[in-house]
Amino acid sequence: MTHSFFGGVYPATRKGITRRKPMARLSQTSKEVVIPLVMCADGPATPMVRPGDPVTVGQPIARRGQTGAAAHASVSGRVIAIEDRPHPWGGRSPAIVIHNDDRSSPYPGNMPPLDPRQFTLEQMVERVAEAGIVGMGGGCFPTWEKIFRSAGKIDTLIVNAAECEPYVTSDYRLLLERGERILRGAQALSQCLQCERVVLVTEGDKLNAVEAVERRLRRSGGRVQILPVRTCYPLGAEKQIIQTVTGREVPPGGSPLDVKCAVFNVATVYAIHDALFMGRPLTHRAVTVTGGAVTRPRNLWVPIGTPLRHLLETCGGLREEADRMLIGGPMMGIALTDLNAPVTKDTNSLVCLTSWEHKPDIPSGVCIRCGKCVAACPMHLAPTIIRRALEEQDLDKLAKYHLEDCNACGCCSFICPAQIPLVETVASAAALLRRGVANR
Amino acid sequence: MSAVYTPKRLPPQLRQSSTTRAMMLDVIVALLPALGMAVFFFGPRVLALCAVSVASSVGFELLYRLLTRQSLSIGDLSACVTGLLLALSLPASTPFWVPVMGACFAVIVVKQFYGGLGRNFMNPALAGRMLAGTLPMLMTTWPQPMQRLSMTNPDAVSAATPMSFLHEGSLPPVSLDLMFLGRRGGCMGEISAFMLLLGLGYLLLRRVISARVPLSYLGTVAAIALLSAPAGVSPPVWTAYQLMGGGLLMGAIFFATDPATSPVTPRGQVMYGVGCGLLTVLLRGSSPYPEGVGWAILTMNCTVWLLDRLGLPRRFGIGNFAATRAVLARWLAELSKIKFVRPRLNLRIPKPREGQAPGEAYLDLLRALLKTVGPLAGVFAVTCAVVFGVHRFTDLNTARAEVQAQHKILTQAMPQAAVGVETPYRAAGAMSIIAGYDAEGHLLGYCVEVHSQGFAGPITMTVGVDLNGAVTGVAVNSHNETHRVGTAAMTSAALARYVGRSGTIRTSGPNSMDAVSGATATSKAITAGVNRALNIVANLDTSGEINYEDTQ
Repeated sequence: MTHSFFGGVYPATRKGITRRKPMARLSQTSKEVVIPLVMCADGPATPMVRPGDPVTVGQPIARRGQTGAAAHASVSGRVIAIEDRPHPWGGRSPAIVIHNDDRSSPYPGNMPPLDPRQFTLEQMVERVAEAGIVGMGGGCFPTWEKIFRSAGKIDTLIVNAAECEPYVTSDYRLLLERGERILRGAQALSQCLQCERVVLVTEGDKLNAVEAVERRLRRSGGRVQILPVRTCYPLGAEKQIIQTVTGREVPPGGSPLDVKCAVFNVATVYAIHDALFMGRPLTHRAVTVTGGAVTRPRNLWVPIGTPLRHLLETCGGLREEADRMLIGGPMMGIALTDLNAPVTKDTNSLVCLTSWEHKPDIPSGVCIRCGKCVAACPMHLAPTIIRRALEEQDLDKLAKYHLEDCNACGCCSFICPAQIPLVETVASAAALLRRGVANR
Repeated sequence: MSAVYTPKRLPPQLRQSSTTRAMMLDVIVALLPALGMAVFFFGPRVLALCAVSVASSVGFELLYRLLTRQSLSIGDLSACVTGLLLALSLPASTPFWVPVMGACFAVIVVKQFYGGLGRNFMNPALAGRMLAGTLPMLMTTWPQPMQRLSMTNPDAVSAATPMSFLHEGSLPPVSLDLMFLGRRGGCMGEISAFMLLLGLGYLLLRRVISARVPLSYLGTVAAIALLSAPAGVSPPVWTAYQLMGGGLLMGAIFFATDPATSPVTPRGQVMYGVGCGLLTVLLRGSSPYPEGVGWAILTMNCTVWLLDRLGLPRRFGIGNFAATRAVLARWLAELSKIKFVRPRLNLRIPKPREGQAPGEAYLDLLRALLKTVGPLAGVFAVTCAVVFGVHRFTDLNTARAEVQAQHKILTQAMPQAAVGVETPYRAAGAMSIIAGYDAEGHLLGYCVEVHSQGFAGPITMTVGVDLNGAVTGVAVNSHNETHRVGTAAMTSAALARYVGRSGTIRTSGPNSMDAVSGATATSKAITAGVNRALNIVANLDTSGEINYEDTQ
């Protein structure tokens, strides 16, 4: 029994392009790997190596500060530079550049695996922090903090495998192929966090194998409820997935802890399992390279830091001109400005769209007040009314419309028949309101 | 493969495929079944009317945008939709200039004056149609279905619409399945419920409109109709006729769902639909017009700003209960800000100033008061008079009752007559002289309304006299006689004694009539009145005391 959330849209998913393709390792890893120091929303890490130092797979090369996450070498070789390199989030930022020697020699000082039957919360937090795990669904917040803060305060643990973004299938393939490790990780998390219910939410089908594994593991580690849901964007957003599973709404300005929930991305849970029971830090992740412009779209298991250009070349390059390239799905993804940017811990896909795959850019028309944006907004906002108030520069009205609730999911822009960029409108209205309140 | 890409569009990169133009095109497609049914029932004149209407709508829009040097907006097809809706909401026998006039009003005044598409607060097509509806001759002739109209000279045999029967509280003489298919009188587009529902299904499937407005609208009307079916009619049948009669389906599917003039918030849309339904039922039941859909929707269009405000979705993360409590608390806080101050009346009579007589100061006060209150009272009185006058002259119920009372008196005074026509004759003692004709138009006689002094006051009575000078009947219009005493002389049996008498009726001797015992004075008065009437009619042709006024 699932609950539903208000609004949402149904874009054409086009996941069929890569859905049936097993996750492949790179036949040849990139000669140069770029590990950005900024891979966590809480600030940059401090380099621990110097140019010329030899590194091995899994060796920590950057230390976290008070918060944030550590970084590890994902290939073995030699550090050649610490310099500003293009970053997928836009612009350039400092990064450790490693020359790959293709030997993949493992780091000798790896952490020993924990015994799955007896470990403490402190051990787990320490491991996760050492492994440099961040929220891999796009949030990029340090996972150890989340575990530490939610321990004992939640009753529902949600493992988010609901990839509501069109095109992207990396989480689905990960769940299908590494289901056992994910379920073990979820069980370990629920044990430490002392929650009553563990739910794995997925939009995928053909999950019989995963369910069989779950039935096998249930005896030893407790039940993980596998909850298939109907595709609706933005189901994978944190507040919406909590509402879908529990029916609870995160209060304004609050966190999931306020409704006794914690949401972990499926890739994060996988990384937690590897850190705890295999002693491996986060060095690799699943990435979907897809879109109509890609010659051989596929799911890849790649070392973090591989330049996106290398990924694209592995997939046969572009067969026709890509109209736009996106990191992380076409709905909320960032338009890529430089193909030399590397894969970071939150990069789940590279989508190369051709011009025929999406609606052409036509100038936005006039609002006909159809109200579709209001009916689509999962955060209960009224974008067209906000737009009207913004046109009138009416701060008093804007103050009543809860602009800070907007999660920029883009449903309103997506659904608008007049092509009005409503997400930007709401964002600029919120900015105007902040400025206006500050000036008062 | 260049290294650097510049983002062309802000996220989301995917957009749904629909555009404003496609939505308008979908509305036109959804109207096609209804249009086809209208062509089938009323002939190709329907197509010509639609063509004229669409062409003039587009033309006026083009003209206005060109004259005001604005960007041309006919490409969004909204003018086509307006024109088509306007044409389909008119009767098939409408002259061709009417849609042109309606389109001019709809496009220029209602739509473009307010800033064009999406900014108008009233549905343009409906406003144009209701303007056309104020022309009296238009909305009274409803051509019969299956009577193909000629292009140039539509001599429509008027058919009563189902709504006029429903307005009287009876079922129309059309079976339900024919109503469903559309073989009934009415406007071009509204006749076929089936075709309109097809259009609704198409619009819902294409997600052009949401089901909130039509469902809440039709649901409200249906619920009230189920509860208020007249005695002797099965409620489901009555509901079906109420839903399919008149323009309800067309209004609920195509006019009420117009995006620009309906609320944008989901809750607001439901409130809007319910409001439209309530107003429709109210106007259908309690106005002199049989149909109220158009005015109901136009009225609700004017409340959209309020419904948008009331229907804002509650904030995410705050439950319905908490949200309601917060609103109530805010209202309470605002109400508690209002302080009630006891009004202080200055009832003391002012003291006279120096050199004034004792009452003079009081008179000054009164004069000042009169100066302020006087104009107010005057305006109030004039307003009351105007409102009452307008009511008096426009209230069809009063007029209808008067006509009915007159007809009743005529049938009592001259049962053979089918039509009574006021004559220009004037005679001393006669308040009016009405000529009675039979159904073929032959003159039968005259009805004379006379006064007579009764026991307790004047008696007004109408006496019918045929061309031979014999009484055909007597009717008492008003009197002040004592109940059960004087009125004994006014029973139909007592009055029937006069029928066939002529000459002068006396109390004794030849051609006499006995007074009704106990009501002698009244009997005498009635006899006197009859005699006066006989006398007037007898002298009608001799120019003696009769004043003949030709008012023509």
